[in-house]
Amino acid sequence: MFGPGIAVATLLVALPSVSPAEVSDADFNALKEAVQKLSEQVQSLKQTNQLVQQAHEKDQVQIRQLQEQLAETQELATNAVQKSEAAAQAAAQPMPRVPIDEATVNHNFQMLGDAEFQYVNADHQNGAFLLADFAPIFLYRGGDHILFEAGFDTTIANNAPNGSDYNTTFNLSFAQLDYVMNDYLTLCVGDMLLPLGTYSERGAGWLNKIPDDPLAVDALLPGSGVGAQVRGAVPMGDAGKLFNYSLYCVNGPGSADGTGDAGALDLGGNVGLRSDGVVANLHNSPGGGGRLAVFLPFPYQPRYDLELGVSAEASQWDNAGNHLWMAGVLDASLHLGPNLEVKGEYIATRYGSDDLGTINQRGWWLQAGYKLAGLHLDWPGINNLEVLGRYDSLQDGLGTTTERYTVGCVYYVTTALLLEGDYEFINSSDPTQPSNQLILQVSYGF
Amino acid sequence: MNTFKPLPACVQITFAALVAALTAGGLTLTVCSAEPLSDSQAANTNSAPAQTPGATNTVPSAVKHQLTGAELYSIHCNRCHAERYPTERTAANWKTIMLHMQVRANIPGQQARLILQYLQENSGR
Repeated sequence: MFGPGIAVATLLVALPSVSPAEVSDADFNALKEAVQKLSEQVQSLKQTNQLVQQAHEKDQVQIRQLQEQLAETQELATNAVQKSEAAAQAAAQPMPRVPIDEATVNHNFQMLGDAEFQYVNADHQNGAFLLADFAPIFLYRGGDHILFEAGFDTTIANNAPNGSDYNTTFNLSFAQLDYVMNDYLTLCVGDMLLPLGTYSERGAGWLNKIPDDPLAVDALLPGSGVGAQVRGAVPMGDAGKLFNYSLYCVNGPGSADGTGDAGALDLGGNVGLRSDGVVANLHNSPGGGGRLAVFLPFPYQPRYDLELGVSAEASQWDNAGNHLWMAGVLDASLHLGPNLEVKGEYIATRYGSDDLGTINQRGWWLQAGYKLAGLHLDWPGINNLEVLGRYDSLQDGLGTTTERYTVGCVYYVTTALLLEGDYEFINSSDPTQPSNQLILQVSYGF
Repeated sequence: MNTFKPLPACVQITFAALVAALTAGGLTLTVCSAEPLSDSQAANTNSAPAQTPGATNTVPSAVKHQLTGAELYSIHCNRCHAERYPTERTAANWKTIMLHMQVRANIPGQQARLILQYLQENSGR
């Protein structure tokens, strides 16, 4: 019973006695210093943590703001997509027709016209690019019955060989006021395109498939005149046949130098205001003329039609009023379907003169065109081609005779944009005329 | 004195032959490819229909065909230039242009109005 006790006592005696630790001052100070350092580090860590916390909070705020912006952007994008889809759907559907408000479109101003650009290479001359013409037509509609229309021609030409640079000419082709009095009668006043034949009214510019005008039209007929005209069309039956009429009174041709010499005939001009400021015709009396024609479409076959017309004008032309100038034109036009067109005019004029007596002039032209779409060939581009031929002749009554054979073609890029090319064989007693020439033209009607 | 020397006869003959061939060929192709009148068009001609045996002796009056705006458009609007599409212009533009064309091409007022209506209805704007 005393065994365990004796064992414990023995153990206690055997084990070395543990004396309290003795810590030196240096160790204490070192420990103190270490604790201080640790404390400082903890403090620093606390501060750092605080800063990190603050930065984290700022980041959280920023993240929330960015999330809000993202939500807004997504909403905007969604709206834009919806609007785009709605617009696409609306565009796919035809616009509902809105009744025309006459109060807003009663005064309607519009510009039409044409422009041509040419390259010409004539025999014994240098080939050259030409700005041939820019010819706007301004239309002003003052109601259902009144139209004012004016056409201009703008061309540039070298001042050479007498000077450098170039000059621009700006001519008034016509300026007329049209009053539609009823379905069959229209009154036109002003500087009017004259219905002598049909070329002056309907064949100029881009309407002419061959770059050149017919010789006789340019040389023998006044394209326009200042005066008044009544014109219209009367239906003959229900199949589209028409009787066309035009009657006009104009100042008529004048004399370039006032004399009655044959070479002084001036088909244009004589607009009623003299260069000395006197308001008067250059000669005594105005002239007059007209055209009567029938338009005969084949019954119920559109694009099959025949038009026949006769026109004439007579007027004094020299300042003294001693001599008469007269012109007569027979015109015809035939369409056989959408592909074949044949048309032509016979023109004869006569005028008296002081020096050469009576001058008789005549000329005619015949033009045929066939659109190759009528061949029904499946070749690329062929449906846009039209081949043309024209013969025209002119006897000017003063000793010069000219005849011209023209072969050409037109490529229709669109119905209004034409690429034209022709080759002309010219035979003339005028030595200044080339014997042949190539003309390439771009023509656009707008 | 300037003398006028006509082109050699062979050139003149060749050119005339080319023009004649062009015209004849075009005529032939055009006539041969011309579509015959449809039954409805034939019915609308001014000729009276044949009577059947036993019918009464009354001939019904011929049905007159009034040209529509589209037909008048195809008759008049390519005589001088290639046809312009109705969609090229607005309805208001066509009103001004048709007044210009009525004067220039000498079209009666009633026909011009029908053409204008056709153009405006098909302009799409």
